[in-house]
Order: sequence, then C-alpha cells, then structure tokens
Amino acid sequence: MNSLRVFFVGGIMSYRALFNWINPWVFVPHTLGYPIFEILFFAYLGRFANVQSDKFFLIGNAFMAIAITGFFGMGNSIGGERRSQTLATLLASPANRFALFLGRAVPSILTGLVVAASAFSICRLILGVHFQGGELAGLAVAALVASFACTSFGLCLGALGLRGRSVSLFADMVGGSMLLVSGANVPFAQLPGAVQAVGRLLPLTHGIAAGRKLGAGESLGAVSGLLGTEALVGAVYLVAGVVMLRVLEYQGRRSATLEAF
Amino acid sequence: MIRAFASGMRVHVVQFSRNPFDLSGVFLWPILYASIAYYLLDAKHDPRLLFASSLGAAVMLMWSLVVIGSSSALENQRWLGTLELLVAAPVPFAVVIAPICVASGFVGAYGIAATLVWGRLLYGVPLVIAHPFAFAVALPACVLAIGMLGLVMASTFVLYRAAFSLGLALQYPVWIATGLLVPLSTLPAFVRQIGWFLGPYWGFRAIREAALGSRAWTYIGMSVAVSAAYFVVGAIFLRLFVHVARSRGSLKLT
Repeated sequence: MNSLRVFFVGGIMSYRALFNWINPWVFVPHTLGYPIFEILFFAYLGRFANVQSDKFFLIGNAFMAIAITGFFGMGNSIGGERRSQTLATLLASPANRFALFLGRAVPSILTGLVVAASAFSICRLILGVHFQGGELAGLAVAALVASFACTSFGLCLGALGLRGRSVSLFADMVGGSMLLVSGANVPFAQLPGAVQAVGRLLPLTHGIAAGRKLGAGESLGAVSGLLGTEALVGAVYLVAGVVMLRVLEYQGRRSATLEAF
Repeated sequence: MIRAFASGMRVHVVQFSRNPFDLSGVFLWPILYASIAYYLLDAKHDPRLLFASSLGAAVMLMWSLVVIGSSSALENQRWLGTLELLVAAPVPFAVVIAPICVASGFVGAYGIAATLVWGRLLYGVPLVIAHPFAFAVALPACVLAIGMLGLVMASTFVLYRAAFSLGLALQYPVWIATGLLVPLSTLPAFVRQIGWFLGPYWGFRAIREAALGSRAWTYIGMSVAVSAAYFVVGAIFLRLFVHVARSRGSLKLT
C-alpha cells in the first residue's frame, strides 16, 4: 500500500514540480515542436532522396518520440535528484525504489504518448498521409508495447544515474543512435548485419516494424510475433533495470558517490 | 574587451574539450546524420552529394552545440549562482556570453573532421577540396555566423528559466529552414526565405562552395556580414533583457 502511495502521490508531485513552473508557450513548443520538426525533417529528406513514403517516416519518428520520453523519463528522474543534491536523502528513505522512480517516470511517459500522438496527427495533416480507423487502433497498440519496452530500457539508463553523472548525455546518444539502428529512418534490411544484430536487441526496432505493418493495413494477429518480441525485449530490460537499481545503489552508497556532480 | 573575448574563447574551448565522454557526442551525432543521409540518398554515383551531406551533417551539429551550449551555459550559471556576478561584472555581458557561443561552434567543427573521415572510410566519399584556402577561411566564418546567431538566442535565454528547453526545441527548425541536409527546393516556398536570416544558411554554403563549388567568397562575405549584424542585435538585446531581468529580480530563479 505504501509503495502504491509512493508511486502515485510521489509521481504526481514530481510531475507537477517538473512542469508547473513552465509557461505553456514554452512547454508546448518544447514538447510538441521537437517531434513535429523531427518527423518533417526526415519526411522531407525521404522525399528528396525519393525513397520510402511519408508514412514510413511518420510512423518511424512518431515511435522515436515515444522512445525518447521513455529513455529520459527514467534517466532524468534519478539525474535530477543528483543535480538537486537530494539523491542521497531520497535513497535514505525506506520507500520502494522501483515505485519511487517509476512513479516519477510514468507521468512523463504518458505525456510522451500524448505528445507523440499529437505530433503524429499534426504531421499526418501536413504531409497528407491517410490511415483507416483500424490501422490507427493497431498503431496505438504497437505504440503502447513500444512505450513499455522503451521505459524498461530507460530504467536501465536511469539506474546508471546512481553511478554516473552524464546519464542524460548517454541517454541522448542512445536515443540518437536509435534514429538509425532501430530502422526509424532507414529500412532495417538495408543496414549492415552487425547494426541489425544490435538493433534486434534494443527496444523499438520490433515495435516500429510492427507499426509499419499495421499502418499498411495488416491485422494485429499478423504482427503478434513482432509485438511479442518487443514485449519480451521490454520484460528483459525491466528485470535488468530492477537488478541494476539495487546493485548500483549499493555501490553508490559504498563509494559515497551519490552526491557527486 | 578583446582580451576578455579571447580569454573567454580559450577557456571555453578547453573546457568543452576536457571531457572525452562529452566529446564523443560531438563525433557521434554528425556521423549518425551523415550515415542516415548516405543510406537514404544511396548516391554512390554522385560523390559530391555525399560530400555535401557530410558537411551539412557537421554544420547541423555546430548549430546544436551553439544553441544547446549557450542555453545550458546560462542555465548552469543560474544553478551555480554566478549569473548575477557575471551580469554585475564591468565587462559587457555580451562579451562574456559571445565566447561561449563561438567556442561551442568551434568545438562543433571537430565534427567536420569526424564526418569526412567516416564518409571516406566507410562510404568512399572523396575528400577533395576544390579551394583549400577559401575552405580555411570559410570554416571560421561559418563558426562565427552560427556562434553569433547563438548570441542572439542567448539574449532571450537570460529572461527565461526554460532556456535549455527552448534551446533543444530550436534544433530541427533551423536545420530545416537552412537546408543543411534537405534542399530548400523540396520545402514549401515560405520556408526558403526564412533561411536567409539564419547564420547556418550562409555558413554552410560558404564551406560547401569552398569544397565543391566556385562562389565561396560571396557566401563567406555574407557569413561575416550576418555575424556583425547578429553581434549588434545580440548586444542590444542582451542589454535590454538583462535590464528587464534585473528589474524583475529574476536572474537568480532556477
């Protein structure tokens, strides 16, 4: 019960503290502007290169928007505490760590889903891409599965924040690499074998592949293998993240590096 | 003031180059964007296009570093509680901030070397620069034009605590409007004129023409001209916005 309270109340308070101070006219361009212009940038690059359709880049980069919030939501929840010099105090509390940090990340991730859906809808209108109702429903399911996988991966990145100071930069680089490695902007089959092998072990790759098939009119049953693989990748990272949180917190306490910044 | 600027440049370039982990991003980002462009363009028969894409990806990084560097520099000063001291210093605030912006662009120039070497080794992009002397002049002109635009942006960041968020949000719009990787001819007509007011537009064309074309000096001249204009505008804005921030007592708010 206490863990649930930490998860919900702590999460809501943290989220309000994160965004309550910001003006809407700064919040909206920051959260919505970035994914919209990212989608447009790659869609126009694709038009210039005369490869793939606008739909290819629209789906790939909308999923990227989900991934980024998943990665940063968790990473920043720990990195922010370190920066505010409150990490040691927080970890001295008896609260369940998983509930503590996931509670802080979930509202950001939900915002990310809303932002990705909004950016997707706006760019769909700008680029003139059409979807059937069933295709959109399928995309929503794929987005949820991808969001789970990315959040689990973000948990691992966030856990690194218990030991390292530059986790945001690391998450930024991992997120950037996903632009290429996940097949978001380049057909996955076109990538070198080694890059494909790495991509298959990362979240999002299977989610994007499933999303593209669903966007092309295939049924959920037809992509269940891809969605199942994406969920499995997420589950593995979730377990790894929970273990990393425990181990790295212990190491951080032992080496007294929790306040290093 | 010249001494303060030169000293600031030296300090910030060394500081930005200090952490190998931070620098790894400088090499990774342009390589990523250039790789995406190589795969999409698949222009094995048009090495000039791949070369131009490498340069475009490197200039994209320069702009990112300048806009993020200047915004995060101001945010860091706020967090460290030193922004008021810098504002109160007898040296004009523009001379304190300008080296941060230009040094960020200078560090971004590392990305040009990384991208060109990457393109050469993995994709066989030829490294033949048509006008080496013009290229040597165009590169600092490009850094200056982008850095000075960063100064104008930095002036607005003085007013807002969300400076870093604003800096992040400004990356893609400028990349698109200046035609660094996507030619402006593929974009809606109204976007094309926006680029004329942006430093990366002129800076990128200066180095691209020096490397591949013949009109480098025109673009170098335009880069220097817009840099001077940005400096004047940035200095005026900074003075104005610092005055407003001091009046409101909002300099220290984190």
